[in-house]
Parts: sequence; structure tokens; C-alpha cells
Amino acid sequence: MVAQNIFFAIFAVIMVVGALRVVTSNNVVHAALWLVTVLAGAAGQYILLSAEFVAVTQVLVYIGAVMVLFLFGTMLTRARLGEETDLNNKTWILGIPVALLLFGTMSYALIDSFGDEKLPEDATVVSTQVISDQIFGPYLIPFWALSFVLLAATIGAIVLARKD
Amino acid sequence: MIATLAAVAPWKAPTIDYHALLPEIILAVGLVVVLLVDLFLEERGKWLLSSLASFSFLGAFVPVVTLALSDSGARSMFDGRFVVDDFSLVLKGLFILVGYVVVLLSTTYVEEGDYYRGEYWVMMLTSVLGMVMMASSRDLVSIFVALEFLSIPAYMLAAWRKRDSRSNEAGAKYFLLGVFASAVMLYGMSLVYGATGSTLLVDIGASLDDSRMTSVRVLGIVFIVIGFAFKVSAVPFHTWAPDTYEGAPTPVTAFLSVASKAAGFVALVTLLYIAFPLASDVWQPMIWVLAALTMTVGNVIALKQTNIVRMLAYSSISQGGFILMPLAVAGTNDSAQSVLRAVVVYLIAYAVTNLGVFGIILAVSRKTRSGEIASFGGLFSYAPGLAALMTIFMASLAGIPPFGGWFGKFAAFQSLLSAGGGWAYTLAVIGAVNSVVAFGYYGNVLREMWMRPAPDGDESPINAPSPLVLALGITTIGTLLVGILPGLVTHFGDLASLTGAFGG
Repeated sequence: MVAQNIFFAIFAVIMVVGALRVVTSNNVVHAALWLVTVLAGAAGQYILLSAEFVAVTQVLVYIGAVMVLFLFGTMLTRARLGEETDLNNKTWILGIPVALLLFGTMSYALIDSFGDEKLPEDATVVSTQVISDQIFGPYLIPFWALSFVLLAATIGAIVLARKD
Repeated sequence: MIATLAAVAPWKAPTIDYHALLPEIILAVGLVVVLLVDLFLEERGKWLLSSLASFSFLGAFVPVVTLALSDSGARSMFDGRFVVDDFSLVLKGLFILVGYVVVLLSTTYVEEGDYYRGEYWVMMLTSVLGMVMMASSRDLVSIFVALEFLSIPAYMLAAWRKRDSRSNEAGAKYFLLGVFASAVMLYGMSLVYGATGSTLLVDIGASLDDSRMTSVRVLGIVFIVIGFAFKVSAVPFHTWAPDTYEGAPTPVTAFLSVASKAAGFVALVTLLYIAFPLASDVWQPMIWVLAALTMTVGNVIALKQTNIVRMLAYSSISQGGFILMPLAVAGTNDSAQSVLRAVVVYLIAYAVTNLGVFGIILAVSRKTRSGEIASFGGLFSYAPGLAALMTIFMASLAGIPPFGGWFGKFAAFQSLLSAGGGWAYTLAVIGAVNSVVAFGYYGNVLREMWMRPAPDGDESPINAPSPLVLALGITTIGTLLVGILPGLVTHFGDLASLTGAFGG
């Protein structure tokens, strides 16, 4: 358990630093790359929880697809790529108390409810096979529905983005 | 490795009741057919697409009727994750009917406006498919997916007039605040799942009760309710609604203000009744505050509007407050019954009336090319039929008997009064004051139509295209039926028809 705690702390520090840099960076591309470290850290956390399928999906979908989309999006549109001083909204300072309040509420709730609970040593590992059995069993309808969501999103995006 | 694989129970194919899924299947087939036929049609043949879309809606209505007539009772699939009971059938019927009327409202608008027609109908069908699925969802995952399913096409539709910057703004605002709300709600769902260990609403309902509340459970419920407050544009989460409604194409605004809002309420009711019935100490005060604020703020701002669509946006916010109002006392077994009935009846009455109003606006703005309330001046002198219908719809929205909206408001107040207690009476008083205030802006439109002259003296008659006339006919009949024969719809909202409500 000790090794897991150490790695948890390492990943957590990387994620917090990365998340702070995402919002403070003055360069869109840098912000996107810092986001990669946050998402990769989350993937690492999933591995520590022995949720290997979720971790691989996180890497494939977020780092693989979403980030590439972000970077291509910023490069293909006419956004400026270098340093920009006016990247931040003038009212960003108002966000800080809101963020702190939300952080305080959520940490209080989590610590208050699960404060002294520990993960059981012999926690059953949910294998990828179980997940697929669930998707093609009880969660079949949402799985079907998602294919239509993706279809609609693709069609709509093409219509709205194409030049005419 | 082999050992662990062998230890997993073998996968069994889930049993699927295709009759129960038929409305969804017909809509899905319909949208694929529209998409494919669109590819092979010449420009002059595109009118066929709107007929195909409306036939898909009518076709999907048939299994809803056959399911309602079959005596097999509630049908449940996937361990109760997808339930077809009377409650869901009524709302499926409502969503499909709203979809059909919106197709009628859109037909001429879309054809004259040089839009992407095929894709427009596909988006409309997809969104309604999501709503129909939402009515049956009894599981956190299904509810979330259904919500995205109905919202994503709606974001696109709001921005459909892509050369108009206001429409772009409408789509962007709707999208950004919508996904923000989804994220908040999803976080709440994950907390609820973490605290109860199940995504099935019935299981959550059994383990979430007031005596065993931990702060994580409270936070989960609060986040979920806030997420839906965004969707139903309850104050203070309403800021997207006026800009989105004003900027979106008018038929889309009709669709958003009726169907999208009703879908949010359906999900909220299912969650409150099946997943959180024993946690009412947490959500009742929240709903109380939301309802009081929504009614009041929506009304007060609506009084000052000069643009009719913007006025209706605030009016629909305030109507949302009236639908929330009875939910603030839904937490006890005694009042739950009458509250459910009030919400369902109000949703039906509000849907038909508001669609009718948008039908009139579309017909009038074809002539006046204006969205100002003043452009309704003199409507009675050159289009007395439209003016009379608009009067019926406005009276219904304001809650004057014998029109549909009256019975919705009556049911809502009745459930508050039957619940009793100081909080319920206070809310009823706030609601009553607001119903009176609402006469101010609905009456303003009536005064323009009946008493003022036409703004530029142009009194040429309005030629309403036939789909629009059909839509107005359906909505007028609906508005009158709900108001004159409310018995037709009251039994739709029986508590027994919502499978699993209050552990039943």
C-alpha cells in the first residue's frame, strides 16, 4: 500500500501543478499541453486503482483524440499561437473565491463521509470483460443511444463548420 | 489469468421487448431514412424530407398507442433500467406530438430560409428520440446519456442560422452553459453512485433516506438538482434562455421552450420520485427557493420586454417556476400523488399552448418581418382569426378558464393547498401574485392586437401556409380540450403509473 500512496502523491502533485498552469499560461498551445499532464495523471491514478480499462480509455480518448483535436483546432483556425497577454478575462479574479468555496465544500463532503474509510486490501478487480458484459447487458440502451449522439454531433458539426 | 476469466459469470443476452422499444426504433429508422434520402434528392425534391420527418413522428405515435392499450401493465427491461409504464407513455406521446407540431411549424420556415433541410430534420428527430428515451430511463447512466442525446442536436439547432451572429451567439451560449450544467450534474451523479453503489434509481431510492444522510449524499443530490435547474432554465440558472430563444430560429425556439424544458422536468420528476423520495429534506427547500425565484424574476423581467420572442422566453421561465412550484411539496406520500398529476397536466397544457403561440408568431412575422410586440398592432382588423387564436393562447398562458393553462395552474395550486403547512401556503401566495402579474404582459399583446392600429397602416391579409394552419388547429384543439375536459388528462398523472415511485 505504501508504494501506491507514494505514487498517488506524485501523480497528484503533477496534476495540481498542471491544472494551475493550464489556467495561468498565456499561450493557448502551452495550456493545451499542460492539460495533457493533468489527463495523463488521471490515467495514472486509475491504474493505481487497478481500473486498467478506464486508464487506457482515458489515454486513448482524452490524450489521443481530444487533445489532438484541441491542438489541430487552434492551429487550423486563425487563433494566434504565441504569447497573448489578453488571454484572461478581466473578471478572472471573481472566479477565485467561487473555486475556493467549491473546493472547500467538496473536500469537506468527501472527508466528512469517507474520512477514515480505507480501500479493502482484497478489493475485487473489475476486469475489462466484466465492463463489456455490462455494456452489452444492462447498459445496452445507453450504448445504442451513444452511437446516435455521435452521429448527430458529427452531422451537426459538419453543417455548422462547412463553408458555403 | 485463465482462472480469473473463468470465474466471471458467462454473458447472457439481455431479453429485449421489441414492442416496448418500437417508438424509439421507428424514430431511429426515420432519422436514418431522412439522412439517406436527402443524399439522393435534387434541390426541388427536398420538400419530401419534411413529409418523411412528419411521417416518422406519426409512425412512432402508433406503438405508443398500442402499448397504452395493451393490458400487460408496465414493461421493464434490463433489470428495471428501461421501463415503459403509463407515465413514460404519456410523455413519449407528448414529445412525439410536440415533434410533429414543430415539424409543421418549421416546414415553410426552413424551406424559405435556405437552411440545410435534410440535416435540420435529422437533428429534430434525434433530439426527440433522446426525449422519448428519457421518459423511460430509470438509471443514472441512461438519464445522463438521454440528456446529452436530446441536448446536443438542440445546441446545433440553436445555431442553425449560421450566417446570423445572433444565432451563433444563441448556440454558443446554450452549448457552453448546457455542458457546464451537464458536468455539474454528472459530478453529482458520480457522488450519488459512490455513496449508494448503484446506478439504478430504485436501488438509490432504497438507500438514500433522511435518517442516513451523509454530506456526500447531500452534495450529490444538490449538484443533480442544480444541473436540471439549468436545463429547465430556473432562476438563477436561467441566463442562457433569453439570448438563446431570441437568437435561435423561431421554430427551434418553440421546440426548446416546450420539448427541451419538458424533458428536463421529466428527468427531474423521475429522479425526485424514484431515486430521492426519502431525501426530501434535502431537495424540498431547494425546489421551493428555485420555484419562488423563477416565477417572480421571470415575470418581472417579462413585463419590460418589447420583443415578443424575448417576452415569451421570460414567460416560459416563469411558467417553469409554476411547474416547479408543486414539486416543492412532493416529498410526502400524501401530496406526491396530486403533485405528479399537477406536473404532468401542466406540462401538457403548457406544451400545446406555447406551440400555438409560436405558430401565430411565425404566421404574423411572415408578413411583418418583425419580432416587436408592436408589430402585432391591428392584427384583429386584418387577420381576425389569428387574433382570436392568439387571444385563446394568451388567456391559456395567463391561466384564464376555460383554456388549458387554467387547469394546469388549478392543479398546481390544489396540490400545494392539499399539502398544507406554512411553506406550501406561502409558495401558493407567491404563485397567486405572480399569476396576476403575468396578466400584465400577456394583456399587453392582446391590447396591441385588438386596440392599436397596424404600425405602418399595412392591412393586407396574412396567408398562413397550410402546415402552419394544421399546427394551429392541433394546438388550439389541445388547449381547449385540456381546459374544458380536464378529465381527459388528469388520470395520466396517477402515481401508480410511475413504476417504482416512493418505493411502490
